[in-house]
Order: sequence, then C-alpha cells, then structure tokens
Amino acid sequence: MSLSRRNFIRQSGMALSFSVAGRTLLLTPREAYAREMPFSVLDQAEVETLETVCDHLLPGARENGVAHFVDRQLLLDPDYSLLFIKCFNVQPPYSDFYRVALAEISRLSETGYGKSITALDQASAVSMIESLRDGNVPSWNGPPPPLVYHALRNDAVDVVYGTMEGFADLGIPYLAHIEPPRAW
Amino acid sequence: MKSPEKVDVVIVGSGAAGSVYAAILAEADKSVLVLEKGTDRKLTDLYSSQIWARRLKWGAPHVFEEGRDSIWYNFNAGHGYGGAAMHHYAVWPRYHEDDMQEHALYGKGLDWPLEYDQLRPWYDRVQDDVGMSGDAEKEIWRPPGAPYPLPPLPVFEHGEILARGFTELDLRTSPIPVAILSREYKGRPACIYDSWCDAGCPTGALANPLVEYLPRAVKAGAVMQADSYVTRVLTDRKGVKATGVEYYDKAGKRHEQPADAVVIAAFTVENSRILLNSATDTHAGGLGNSSGTLGRYLMSHPAVNVFGMFKEETRCYYGVTGGQLFSQDGFEKEKSGEIFGSRQWEIGLGTKPNDLLGIAMSRADLFGNDLHDFVRRGSRHLGAMVGVCECLPHEDNRIELTGNKDKFGMRLARVTFNLDDYARNLWRQTADLGVEIFKAAGATEAWHSPPGGQHIMGGTIMGNDRKSSVTNEYAQLHDVPNVIIGGPSVFPTSSSVNSTFTAHAVALRSARHIAGHWGELAA
Repeated sequence: MSLSRRNFIRQSGMALSFSVAGRTLLLTPREAYAREMPFSVLDQAEVETLETVCDHLLPGARENGVAHFVDRQLLLDPDYSLLFIKCFNVQPPYSDFYRVALAEISRLSETGYGKSITALDQASAVSMIESLRDGNVPSWNGPPPPLVYHALRNDAVDVVYGTMEGFADLGIPYLAHIEPPRAW
Repeated sequence: MKSPEKVDVVIVGSGAAGSVYAAILAEADKSVLVLEKGTDRKLTDLYSSQIWARRLKWGAPHVFEEGRDSIWYNFNAGHGYGGAAMHHYAVWPRYHEDDMQEHALYGKGLDWPLEYDQLRPWYDRVQDDVGMSGDAEKEIWRPPGAPYPLPPLPVFEHGEILARGFTELDLRTSPIPVAILSREYKGRPACIYDSWCDAGCPTGALANPLVEYLPRAVKAGAVMQADSYVTRVLTDRKGVKATGVEYYDKAGKRHEQPADAVVIAAFTVENSRILLNSATDTHAGGLGNSSGTLGRYLMSHPAVNVFGMFKEETRCYYGVTGGQLFSQDGFEKEKSGEIFGSRQWEIGLGTKPNDLLGIAMSRADLFGNDLHDFVRRGSRHLGAMVGVCECLPHEDNRIELTGNKDKFGMRLARVTFNLDDYARNLWRQTADLGVEIFKAAGATEAWHSPPGGQHIMGGTIMGNDRKSSVTNEYAQLHDVPNVIIGGPSVFPTSSSVNSTFTAHAVALRSARHIAGHWGELAA
C-alpha cells in the first residue's frame, strides 16, 4: 500500500483537513487556531481547559494550536498517532486519557481554587500545575497527575518548539533530511 | 475463499531479525513471505521531525506493564516495515566473551548455548554487509573481531567537551562503533550528521532494514505484505510441526498462511504473546513452552541520561543521535559492594528540543517561562550522554497473557519487571559517576534523569537444556523445531550493550543454519 503525499498528510494528522464551502483546506494547527476551525473530538470546555493549562505550561502553546493538534490526533488509530503519550504506554483510546484528565483538572481548579481554570490568576495556576507535577492532588480520579503533567507539557513543547518554526525561533538550524509536510 | 499458496517460510515481522532471515532464506531459493503488522513504509516517508517519528513507534495492541520498573515498550518497539530498527540509533557494540558465559564465570545470570567465538564470524559478516564505522584499536574493550570496514565518525564540539570529563577522571573514550557510514559504502552515501537518526534515516547512511536486508530479500524474491496481523502459529494434529500462521488483514479478514517453516520476529513481547496465544491441547501452556520458561527472563537495560550546561556552545542538535564517543571503562561485572553488571557510556547524544530524550524533557520539572528560558539556553549549551547498565535475567520478570483481548479476540500481553538490587545499585553508581564526569568536563550545572529502559530482551531464551529454555542455539523452538525465533527475545543475558548488532548476528547465524539444513527442517 502506498499513499499519496496529500492523503498521507491527511491521514497522519500533522496538517488538519477541513471542508469549507466545498473546498478542502489543509492547515497547520497554528493556522487552524487562528481561523477558529471546529473541533472533532474535544468539546468546548475541554478545549478551553487544554489550551489554558498548556499555555501555563509553556506560554505560546495556545496560539500554536495545541488543542487543534491534540484533537486531530485523537481521531487516529494509535499506531499512527503522533501524540507524546504514545511513548508513555498509555492505553488507547487516547481520547479517554484526555477526557478524564481535562475533567479532573477542571474539577481541581473549581474545588481547590474556587474558580474555573480560565479565570485562575497566575499564582494559582502555578500552584495547581506544581501539584500536578508533584502528584500532590487529593481526591484525584484520573490518570496519575504527574503523567497528565508530562503529557500536556510535551504537547505544548511539540507545537511550540518541535516544528521548523520552533527551531528558527531558537536560532538553531533544523537540518532536515526530508522536511516535514507544510513546514510544520 | 481461495487458500493462500503455501510458502517455504513465513516470517512474522520485518525488523532487524526478520529482515535478515528474509534475505538469507530468499537468497537460498526459498519462497519467503514477510507478514508485517504495521504499515508499508519507504525511505521517502521518513520526515525529519521528532513528532513525525512517533509513527515509527508501537501503538497497539496495548501492552500492560506492571512491577516497579518500566520497559518502555512503546518507545522501544516499532511499527511498520523495518520495525524498531527504523528508529534505533545504530550504536553497535558487540557482546563480550563473559556476557555469554555469565553463570559459568560468576555464578549469576545464565549461559548462552554458544560462546563468543562462535558468534564472532557472524558479527564480522554483518558489519561487512551493512558498513560499520569505528576504530577497533582505540576501542580497547572490544572483543576480537575484524576491523571496522569504515573509519570512525568525526567528533564535534559536543563530544570534545564531554571527553574532557572522562580524561580528567582517568577514564578512556574511543570513537563510537556505529552502523552509520562515515564514507560512501556500497553505493550508499556517508552520513551528513544532522542527528535525525531516531526519526528514521532516509539517506541510507544508517543501516536500517529498508537499506540493506529487506531490499536484498525482495531482490531475491521475498514478498512483503503490510497490515497483516499475525495472531497464532498453527500446528499439525500431533503438535510436532508448525503448518503456518493465522493472520488478519487490514479489513479484519482472517487468513491461514501455510508454510514449511515459521519465523517469529515480532519483537520481544509479541514473540512471547504469539506463542502463548498459540496454545493447543498438545501445547497447553503455549507453543514451545514445555519448559515453562516461555515469557520468562525478560530484561531491559536500566539507563541514565546525564545532562549538563556548558559555557561553550555544544551544538548538541548536530552529529548523530547515538553519540560521538564511547566508553566501556567500568564494563567489568564484579564491582565493589552489592553491585554487579557491566556498564557503558554513549557520549554526546544528538539532542533536539522536543520528545522524550529532548532538551525540554531533560528538565521535566520546569514549566512556564522558566521552561522557555531553559530550552533557549539548552539548545546552544546542553551536553548529553547516556550510561547503559546491565540487568540480570530473573524468571519472575516475565511476559504473560491477560484477560483483556484485542479486536480479534486474542489475549493481550502483560509484562512484570522489577530490577534487582544489583542493577539498581549499578544504576545509582552510574548516575553519580555521570554527573561527576560532567562536572569534571566543566559543566556549570549537571544532573541526571530518572531510570529509563533501553532495549528489551528475553522471553524466548536460548539454551542447551530444553527443560530450562525455549529455543536452541539456532533459535529454533526445542518443542517445534520448524518454528524459529528472531530478535533479542532469544538472548539469555542482557550485557549492557545495545542489542541490535547481536540480534543481526544471531539471526544471520541461524538463517544460514536453517538454509543449510533445510531438508531436516521441512521433512
């Protein structure tokens, strides 16, 4: 089986495929965020939680399209997934992991800090992330908090620094043998 | 439904070992079919990106991990043509003589059914086939063998800086032995040191299966078939001979592929899982499990990544992923205190900003703007090396079947893995020494990672005694000799050296034996 490059990009999910007015658009996650393209798996509350936590973990993750990237990957068979949690042996389907983790983070924000996560001040957000990182979260009913911390932190790092633009921002050469599609 | 045509050999898995079997047996005029669970893949599909590289990793079926220590299955295993060897770093040292006679010499671990001298010519042939770079004389710890066919890779700033620390502590380094071309070899180009090895090398400079043995296999007539998920080995009514395999295609359709011989080379956990799932009335505990050792003696190298910041620019994103220099000072197994096992260093790892072994993950505690600041500094000034330690084989470290099933109703695997105190103490000593080396090299700050698991071995170990091992010295099941096992699952000991070179050498030796004794096997 050989895939055409265009189909492969679609199936792999590095560029996001959207149908708009009868046309198919292939967008990077950053472009999808800028155009406010719809999500397929995550609901609005999950998107807001994911974007907010990732932006605290690494500022810039939101506008680099972290939620669109994760959302697209959750559609794929785990063998083809590009999500970092694959390396952590998380049991598929990965959407279960994100759904539960994001719900627990949202609950932690409400019960621990008295506010929705999008309304947390910087100090509270830092405190909450430290508690995730250190596994110091009472009454947590999801994947281990440090695993959630690492998963979301690495999603943020992927979209901010794991791209050709990210390397350029760091001032280091990308040195591609074969450039990843759409300069992503 | 038309039955598939019978083949001489069906090979399950197209990675390091499977590709060797495919090439050698096809070149011996056997009809060969290679069934690969994962996708078709070409060199042109190998994009330079740590994110894209995750396509090369295992995703499903899930492997449940229990015990105190992880074998990092998904990270170590592979998916698609070439298997795990598509994302391996091609650091290829040899097992030492005492690695293979560990119980006889030290009263610990197990013995291989063959000695180093019996494997040595096969190492020599493999390195000639694929093209290896190194300096056999400067690699003073290296067991006897032919010199490398190519001169060593160059050493850049990263390696030079870290070498200072070894020199300061009277530790020796050598060029790293790698299956990466320092010069053009057999029509393949030399490496350009862009350090995307673990994303899959598309240039042909790194000897992954798509470069050497799979093309040879196809040229000799082997047929490759992707998206073919093998679930069981089928046996005759008496259970003394394998008759083929059962597999499912991409559409979920079941097939039986008849064959005179079956090679299971689906990587360590899947090798045991397929055999355990092949249980019959005659082989109630799993195929090849009359000894009760199938799935046992699982091993993984406890590894420690050492990091540091230097005033100089290291250009850590340059070079090759697996390192620029090498050291086996400290390889001797008997150490003071409650420490046993060999150790080696891979020095000056090519390191990119993201992914599990990337710059950001080296300080996993940082987030927010602190993380930005760290990645910016690290991308210019980080140094990285890895210390790889041995773990002894223990029968309680094992692969079993769970009650959970895959979509075809086959039971999933669970692994239980606990390092013993020898390995735990060795890892701690190695971590402390690594930080000391970095400080001696002039690091302004130095630290190390938590324990990681590199390479996965055991489960279908070789042995002379069929009561205590699964396979013989040619990796044939004692119980059903026309089933041959490929890959590091047949290793009875782990050493601390990377497993891929030895997996090639063992497979080449076995494949030649099978080809030379075909009449006995197929009878």
